[in-house]
Amino acid sequence: MIEKIIREDLIRLHVKANDWKDAVRLSAQPLVDDQIVTKNYVDEIINSVNEYGPYFVIAPHVALAHAPSKAGANELAMGITVLEPSIKFHNDDNDPVSYVFTLSAPDSNSHLKAMQELVYLLSDDNFYQVLSDSQNPSEILQYIKDSVIKQEIEK
Amino acid sequence: MIKALVACRAGVGSSLMLKIKLNEVISEHDLPVEVEHKSLDGLPGFNGPIVITLSDVADELKEQKIDKVVVGIKNILDKDEIYTKLSAALKEVGAK
Repeated sequence: MIEKIIREDLIRLHVKANDWKDAVRLSAQPLVDDQIVTKNYVDEIINSVNEYGPYFVIAPHVALAHAPSKAGANELAMGITVLEPSIKFHNDDNDPVSYVFTLSAPDSNSHLKAMQELVYLLSDDNFYQVLSDSQNPSEILQYIKDSVIKQEIEK
Repeated sequence: MIKALVACRAGVGSSLMLKIKLNEVISEHDLPVEVEHKSLDGLPGFNGPIVITLSDVADELKEQKIDKVVVGIKNILDKDEIYTKLSAALKEVGAK
């Protein structure tokens, strides 16, 4: 499932951002370009951080940028952006952030399996190495596909 | 069974991932917890004693002095952190 919602053109490597807002915008841009999310959706992610703090920095060096569906999530998809250098999101526990996963989920159920697969990937130390070392989005997508197959076998 | 609400602002991302990890911890340690998953809008209608969320949302809820035991998780991938904090919350509500 997750290998279907993360498309090659939504993966950006070696991205240089000025600050966390810039990082969120750069990460979401491929989704905006493909009309997967609206521009308002991206604004909403940034506004909610201003209001509630960096609530989507979920683990060390990992941000899951997302907003409520009604803000403008048209289609189920996820982008991956690898920041270089890493950027502070003002989350003392998990800063600095190197990996931004931008989630667009039109409802709260259809992506459960994808999120399960993402949790599995994020619990795999090797995944971070692949994200940082890959020169091409296709290598990352291949790793994700292999991981999904591995998860199926382990079940 | 003790009811616990897993919530985040949007209800589609971080809390869903937290729920997945929580359920792993609950089944591994056989904890008497039943997890519900909603956005924060669902909080007023929730009648259990425990709310579990990411740490910065938790800080905000604690400031609002809501009538729940609030558990804030910093790293949703860290099962030890989840287990330690959930156990403490269960103790606080008298379930353990």
